[in-house]
Amino acid sequence: MKRIIIDREKCDGCLNCNVACISAHQEGSNFYTVNLQGVDSETRNFIKFDSKTGYTPIFCRHCDEPECVLSCMSGALEKDPETGHVQYDETKCAACFMCVMNCPYGVLKPDTRTRTKLIKCDFCEDKKDGPSCVAACPKKAIEVKEVSL
Amino acid sequence: MNSNFSCKTCASADQKLETFISNLSQETSHHRVEGQSVKCGFGLQGICCRLCSNGPCRITPNGPKGVCGATADTIVARNFLRAVAAGSGCYIHIVENTALLLKKTAANKGLLKGKRALKKLSEIFEIKDADEYICAEKIADAVLADLYKPDYVKMELVEKMAYKPRFDRWKELGILPGGAKSEVFAGVVKTSTNLNSDPVNMYLHCLKLGISTGLYGLTLTNLLNDVILGEPSIRLAPVGLRVIDPDYINIMITGHQHSIFAYLQDRLIESDVIAKANAVGAKGFKLVGCTCVGQDLQLRGEHYQEIFNGHAGNNFTSEAILATGAIDAVLSEFNCSLPGIEPICDELKIKQICLDDVAKKANAELKPFVFEERAVQSDEIIDEIIDAYTARRGDIVLNMMPEHGNDDTLTGVSEGSLKDFLGGTWKPLIDLIVSGDIKGIAGVVGCSSLTAGGHDVLTVGLVKELIAKDILVLSAGCSSGGLENVGLMSPSAASLAGPKLRAVCESLGIPPVLNFGPCLAIGRLELVATELAEAIGVDLPQLPLVLSAPQWLEEQALADGAFGLALGLPLHLGLPPFVTGSPVAVQVFTQDMLNLTGGQLIIDDNAKTAAATLNEIIEKKRRELNI
Repeated sequence: MKRIIIDREKCDGCLNCNVACISAHQEGSNFYTVNLQGVDSETRNFIKFDSKTGYTPIFCRHCDEPECVLSCMSGALEKDPETGHVQYDETKCAACFMCVMNCPYGVLKPDTRTRTKLIKCDFCEDKKDGPSCVAACPKKAIEVKEVSL
Repeated sequence: MNSNFSCKTCASADQKLETFISNLSQETSHHRVEGQSVKCGFGLQGICCRLCSNGPCRITPNGPKGVCGATADTIVARNFLRAVAAGSGCYIHIVENTALLLKKTAANKGLLKGKRALKKLSEIFEIKDADEYICAEKIADAVLADLYKPDYVKMELVEKMAYKPRFDRWKELGILPGGAKSEVFAGVVKTSTNLNSDPVNMYLHCLKLGISTGLYGLTLTNLLNDVILGEPSIRLAPVGLRVIDPDYINIMITGHQHSIFAYLQDRLIESDVIAKANAVGAKGFKLVGCTCVGQDLQLRGEHYQEIFNGHAGNNFTSEAILATGAIDAVLSEFNCSLPGIEPICDELKIKQICLDDVAKKANAELKPFVFEERAVQSDEIIDEIIDAYTARRGDIVLNMMPEHGNDDTLTGVSEGSLKDFLGGTWKPLIDLIVSGDIKGIAGVVGCSSLTAGGHDVLTVGLVKELIAKDILVLSAGCSSGGLENVGLMSPSAASLAGPKLRAVCESLGIPPVLNFGPCLAIGRLELVATELAEAIGVDLPQLPLVLSAPQWLEEQALADGAFGLALGLPLHLGLPPFVTGSPVAVQVFTQDMLNLTGGQLIIDDNAKTAAATLNEIIEKKRRELNI
């Protein structure tokens, strides 16, 4: 199973992963044209900065025992048994946001415009080259690796 | 030598060159593309600001303004104007040096090879003296006087140089430039921390810089150089790596200031210098063209047949040229002198001498050109290069590529030589345009880059599409270097043109892509366009004429682009000039410019669709002219 593995020592906080994530979820856009200022310009990954510890990339772990899935009452969040990725079905979502409350990494958030949907990493399942954030990281601080459970 | 580099090189439109580079043991720019393939999204959009210690600030969903309050529109405009000002500064440096050299050459009663250019400039500048040296000195003085004016005093030659309808429009818009150097200064000041925040004001300043860059940095540099070095004359010439003859002591020249070499290139073929070369086992000296100064030498090649062996390639071919091992010295005086040539020169013991400190290479000797010391300096350079030749040739294994390029590239095309070719009048060309045998003209200009598909990939692809649509292509800049090496400037390339253009080319024995030489010659294209517009009696934006800098590379190209927009021409770029993060910039360049100057920016990195768009524009302009 594939996961995004983080090497925080390599992160320079350039936020290219944010740009890539927003672009990947903005139909028809690329790095030149992606709108970074709209209310719908939402990133699914985050870089936190602390003067003592430096930059910390915060990405969805697609956890082995995902608290978001366990807390989801409507069945909108499910862990794919084959890929191991936690996927979100917007049509089933009741917007209770128990997933946001329970995510141990604080990576989940409601959408800014309507606050009726979850903003969550989908591992860029529709992209043949894998997650856009990984391709856009100039430092290889995030990489897709095969992991065994 | 660093052997720890990517073995994967980028694509090139020049297949032979791509193979040659991929097999080199030296690292080149083509090897470094892969390692730099991940680009910064903020940089590409122009929305990163490093103007103060609160930054760098970037525009993000959580940070829609910089700490100071600057919006994306302000940040993009500041970055863009800064780049255009730097680019303009580069060209103004070139014309300043050229004018100073003309002044000194005239004052010393030196050789002035371009009598017709001198006469033409005297007429434009309204200088009526009979003595050619006095005329030349007055011409140089007039140019210098304008360059050195403050920004609040308008330059006087603009009205004399510019096409009247254009001048009138510029006056209405308030974009007539003051002193060219001062306008660069003002542009830099405007873009500093917490000064100008008005994007439109800054884009209008860009147009001002475009006008001063175009008329002085481009057009006048050509004409002043023509006076010193001789006018271009049409001829067939060899191009590509084949032009390097290892039996000679070979000097690769890089830069933009042809007149700096005026004395040296004549000295190199004098008998005592040839005897020196013979004494160390060489047949003599040869200059090998590279970058724009090589294009300039090629353009005037008729006058330099003995010393100039041909143009080997453009900026991103320079490392490959050196890697042949047969180049003994690099003389550089401006860009594009890539930092990447330095380790190759070290490894292959190639002597590097910089003749202008603006282009000082880290590991090169600096010998700033001084006109008064040109004789001594030239002999010192010759001796040093002979020493390098003697020290290196026994040790270096040659890696020649005689099959690269061709022997029949049509060169030497200029506003003068083309008109001569047409019988001293533009009427034959206008008739062909009116009849539709030539649907329109595309100036495919500017640099070569390693993006937009790879080395010259978009340039070559676009040109093939354009000529197939019966659009005649005029080229100037490093784009010419790529286009000639792949054979598009050979008469046989007529077979790639559409049926009508093909018939025209075959009857005249010319290729469908005409080589005007260096990027400076964008100024010559402006002269051609102006003379055509004058002959027809329309303004420039009405002509079925488009510009494209498909693989623009650097700040100078952006200043050229600003000139194109000021002229009111549609301008295609393969990749956006780091402005797409600003809605105002996109609006100004792609829409509002049509109402300001008549110009318009078109961004497209696809050769087919870009050519289709340019074709549509040409057809629309034809309909509006009722042809």
